[in-house]
Amino acid sequence: MTTTVSDRKQGSIPPSHALRISGAVLAVSSALWAYLVYSAPLDHIQGLIQKILYVHVPCWFAAYAGFGLTAAFGALYLWKNDERFDRVAVASAEVGVLFCTLGLVTGPIWAKGTWGHWWTWDPRLTMTLVLWFIYLAYLLLRSFTEGSTRTARFASVYGIAGLAAIPLNYFAIELFGGAAMHPDNLERDSLGAGMGWPFVLGAATGLLALLHLILLRVDLETRRVAASPALADWEHDEGF
Amino acid sequence: MTAVIARNLEKRFGRTIGLDGIDLDIPTGSTTAILGPNGAGKSTLLRLIAGLARPSGGSLEVGGQPAHGRTARARVGFIGHATGLYPELTARENLIFAARLRGVGDATKRIETQLAEAGLTRAADRRTGEFSRGMAQRLSIAVGLIDDPEIVLLDEPFTGLDGMASNRLVERLKGLRRRNRTLVLVSHDVALAAQLADAAVVLRRGRIAHRESGDPLDPKILENAYSAASNLGVS
Amino acid sequence: MNALLAVLWKDLLTEWRSRDRAVAMLLFSMLMVVIFHFSLPGGATTATRAYAPGLLWVAFVFSALLGLGRSFAIELENDAIERLARAPVDRGWVLLGKTLANLVILAFVQAITVCVFALVFEMDLTPIALELAGVVALGSLGLCSVGTFFAAVAVRTRFREVMLPLLALPFYTPVLIAASRATNSLFETGAVSFEPIQFLIVTDASYLIASFILSDFILDE
Repeated sequence: MTTTVSDRKQGSIPPSHALRISGAVLAVSSALWAYLVYSAPLDHIQGLIQKILYVHVPCWFAAYAGFGLTAAFGALYLWKNDERFDRVAVASAEVGVLFCTLGLVTGPIWAKGTWGHWWTWDPRLTMTLVLWFIYLAYLLLRSFTEGSTRTARFASVYGIAGLAAIPLNYFAIELFGGAAMHPDNLERDSLGAGMGWPFVLGAATGLLALLHLILLRVDLETRRVAASPALADWEHDEGF
Repeated sequence: MTAVIARNLEKRFGRTIGLDGIDLDIPTGSTTAILGPNGAGKSTLLRLIAGLARPSGGSLEVGGQPAHGRTARARVGFIGHATGLYPELTARENLIFAARLRGVGDATKRIETQLAEAGLTRAADRRTGEFSRGMAQRLSIAVGLIDDPEIVLLDEPFTGLDGMASNRLVERLKGLRRRNRTLVLVSHDVALAAQLADAAVVLRRGRIAHRESGDPLDPKILENAYSAASNLGVS
Repeated sequence: MNALLAVLWKDLLTEWRSRDRAVAMLLFSMLMVVIFHFSLPGGATTATRAYAPGLLWVAFVFSALLGLGRSFAIELENDAIERLARAPVDRGWVLLGKTLANLVILAFVQAITVCVFALVFEMDLTPIALELAGVVALGSLGLCSVGTFFAAVAVRTRFREVMLPLLALPFYTPVLIAASRATNSLFETGAVSFEPIQFLIVTDASYLIASFILSDFILDE
């Protein structure tokens, strides 16, 4: 879709088709999900605080899915050398870290409400923290590398490597993890009646939100690239 | 037999276009000069042939293999802007390392010859960190040629050399020509290029603006082409 | 393989000439030992001895990071990294050569660090010296393999000293967890439990293979 100069000046370029569709689906899904969360029965042990899990779990899903996408598109970039893949990778990382942060915020809130501790070295929580560090390293690597080709290449490599780090960290924590302070954990299967659907829909909504925000970010990036002046600076010193 | 073949070769750095569709054939045993103003893409082209970066588009083959791969890298010698020397090592040790890295068999004799050619026999056991600019440049050329590569790429090799060293290098390059080595030379010095090369390519804004071949090359034609390329008026 | 040996020789020779890395790493380790000694109350007691394995690995990690960062900084000085990138072999061999060189230098620093630690914490480590060396070697291989790889990346960014620990941290955690567990059980019982060792071997292998394969991409300009 071509944008004319007058369009740019007005700053009102219509969003792409994909964005419209994903936005609509997300709106519907979110509304449904919110309703289900509201009307779900209270957990007889934990009470109201358990409801924050309905937000926490989808964040968790989205955070991991986000990084999976970052790594996958990084690999595609290395293979095909097409910078559009890199745009999706960085979009996935930025949105993914958002969900990861949200997960790290909602997790302790739930923990405090149920166990009385803000933080535990529970494998799941620790893994989310590790993932957050990987995201952070990825994004900082991008900020601090100069030259967009080099940035894309380094970031892609780190994305792929980061993906490999996740299972290794998981097993290390599972097998040898910290203090043996595993609090009486509510099993994930021990949900009462009427609690299943909000989780399923929550996970789906979380992923949809991830997708929508990624599309939004990619769209933004594409426009930014299109609008920036062509860097035909033939006077600068060539070569690295 | 063609040593280097480029077809629609492109190199982008983000939004900057380094090379914009280069078609080039460099025959074996020829000496090609690459000329052009700053920012035209000369070093970029050379570095792609050297295997230091991947093309963004098009193809680039050296001896029938992709330039970026290790088979191609084995056939190409590269002498760039920087010396690539390790200041803590002596001249001799720098050569030993380069020889081993490039897989040169029994290199002792060759190293001594290279040291002599570079006029560094007496300084052979001094740390290169102490070398003058000219000495470092001479050594870096010796290091680049340690494995006697079939194709030799030189990025402005005469920078930093005084008159005598310059002449020595010219003789050296002529010697390589006689041994049927393929030379590709980036230079600002049009007269020198005309003297050494039997083909020339003038780059402008990532494209080939002018091609010339003939032995010897006519420096006047090259001068005109160079000026035209340097004129950044309406293209 | 030749390239690996060439790079290994070159790095060790360069280090021998200047000794700047080893000395810096050693001084840093010693500083950490002193700090540990003063920051833990009551000096060497049973309680503080329990922390010794963990603290030992903390000292190892930080001095490793110091040395690893330097290992590629020297390549940038005269753009010598281009010669490495142009080696007519799989670039993984070049990186492996540097990894081994870093391991050797780190081992030297670690040997001295362990002795000083034993002194400060009043522990007799001679009966388990061999096993300890094994555990430390395995753990250090993990640190150096992934550390050298990211050093090559970090050195071409704007804040290289900060970038390297940041990149390496998520990869160091599995190694640290397993290695300190193994060292812990070694100190307590005099025998090494097999599980952490197994895990370290798998992790080291994964890191070595992954960095070998990905090396090609990080040595481009």
